[in-house]
Amino acid sequence: MPRLSRSDYYDLTRDMNWHLKYVPYEEAFPKEQAGDGGGIPLDEWWKWDEPYKLTYREYMQNQADKDTMSYSVKSAISRSHLFDQVDAGWKSAIAAHYGAIAIPEYQASFGEARMARFGRAAAWRNMATFGTLDETRHGQIQLFFPHELLEKNPQFDWAHKTFHTNEWGAIAARHLFDDMFTANDALSTAIQLTFTFETGFTNLQFLGMAADAMHVGDVEFGALISSIQTDEARHSQQGEPTLKILVKNGMKDKAQHLVDVMFWRSWRIFCLLTGLSMDYYTPLEHRSMSFKEFMEEWIIKQFMDQFRDLGMKAPWYWEIFLDELNWYHHGLHLGVWFWRPTVWWNPDAGVSPAERAWLETKYPGWNDTWGRRWDVITKHARKGEIEQTLPQTLPIICNICQIPIITPSNPKRQHDLGPYTVDYNGRRYLFCSEPCKWIFEQNPSRYAGHKTVVDRFLAGEIQPPTLEGALAYMGNPQEVGGQDAENFAWALAAPTLAAAR
Amino acid sequence: MALIPLTAAFRGDFVVQLIPVEDTDTMEEVAEKVAAHAVDLRVAPKRMPMEVVFKEKILSPEDTVKGVGIGPMDFVEVRYADEYE
Repeated sequence: MPRLSRSDYYDLTRDMNWHLKYVPYEEAFPKEQAGDGGGIPLDEWWKWDEPYKLTYREYMQNQADKDTMSYSVKSAISRSHLFDQVDAGWKSAIAAHYGAIAIPEYQASFGEARMARFGRAAAWRNMATFGTLDETRHGQIQLFFPHELLEKNPQFDWAHKTFHTNEWGAIAARHLFDDMFTANDALSTAIQLTFTFETGFTNLQFLGMAADAMHVGDVEFGALISSIQTDEARHSQQGEPTLKILVKNGMKDKAQHLVDVMFWRSWRIFCLLTGLSMDYYTPLEHRSMSFKEFMEEWIIKQFMDQFRDLGMKAPWYWEIFLDELNWYHHGLHLGVWFWRPTVWWNPDAGVSPAERAWLETKYPGWNDTWGRRWDVITKHARKGEIEQTLPQTLPIICNICQIPIITPSNPKRQHDLGPYTVDYNGRRYLFCSEPCKWIFEQNPSRYAGHKTVVDRFLAGEIQPPTLEGALAYMGNPQEVGGQDAENFAWALAAPTLAAAR
Repeated sequence: MALIPLTAAFRGDFVVQLIPVEDTDTMEEVAEKVAAHAVDLRVAPKRMPMEVVFKEKILSPEDTVKGVGIGPMDFVEVRYADEYE
């Protein structure tokens, strides 16, 4: 049987579009699932064109090769004692990663599958089919790898458990990812997941952390996430062609809005996961760049160059974002460390004298602000007064990002430490920043029914209404995590700068 | 006596926290309650009186929560009296 060459058959399979004759188009592509296409004609959608094309046969071959590579690295490493020797802070970084990421990857396959059915161009649906398979792979592989580490550390059970709990970080991730893809229409998902989140931010965690992993000597993790990111580089290319069609057909404002919402939300979650891992958990000698430097390279330079080339503008809150680069994730780190019984890993304080000196060079003024707070903590740690380094109340949580409210957000508002507020339908909502407040105000009915952990506490949903009750509500993360990663060894090092002054 | 949950921050600390107070509490008592979750935890203690700021007004130490009209989840700032912008 003669076979056609790839160039003869490829577009026939990749890009088979047709006008529906038996059902109305709107019934087959309802707005709730497909998104509001704004009346863009179908033959405009059918110009959708992705840069990197591959056939299903090529996909299967490539992916099999990738898995063979990843699994053989894993197999070689597990026969060695390499993982046992890895730094405690690094182990925390990867325990945090697996818990926050593994199940969301699987859920991303729902978003990809929605695009595979409701994307308005066949080439897009084709790429999304591969995306669905990719995200299934990412969910599976990021459960299997930590599963094999269970006998070394029960924290890795949270790779699967996290998303089935009401741990506050799980709620923050679920809220974000539901907004981005699990409960989002196909068109919005292409702009918010594949363009904003995947083309921009995920490189930080998956390439930035891979670089740090190689330095640290965690070859297995570095190989794993670099392999995952090669899939991402392919399926994230759904974003740009979709954006181009919107811009070309008079829907630039809608595209800008979608990006503005999800850029901010992505920033928030990346500060929480990647900011802490890069600037505090990765051992000092293996930090290839600071979090701010990674952001400057991957987001401010590479992503924004691409964004502007498409005729888009920087989000309206750009100055707020640039200011936050200097301080926001330091606040999250202090908060996560202080409230450490609420997380499933052991936070690494990351404030030994040498680390504080590094922080000062990367973030001038760190010692005068964050350092002063850590001075008080260090004083108690040195005296063994650990109870003074643990919380007795809850932080207030933002009604959009679900992250504790670090003061203050807008640099022009330094005098006012209070949250941003909106009263909507008889209920008060609190926000950490102008952009989170704006996101709520753009679409209040989408978000208004949700309660933060603090809202639930005040509504009596957490019983008993104590810190112990709150930890039980969150799945008792302190049973596996919640200790200082180095058992306060950093506090017993040379005197603090305050003492030396 | 009614329990009123407030949102509060101590100037020099880094986070807004949930602080329950009684509606009969004076501002002096409110300041102590907020300070308990910041001073000598993350803020160096000072020998200095504290003040409570509500809606940009510095309240008097004898004012009460009920008297001023501070309601559930309203925000107060507590600071040492020498802190100023």
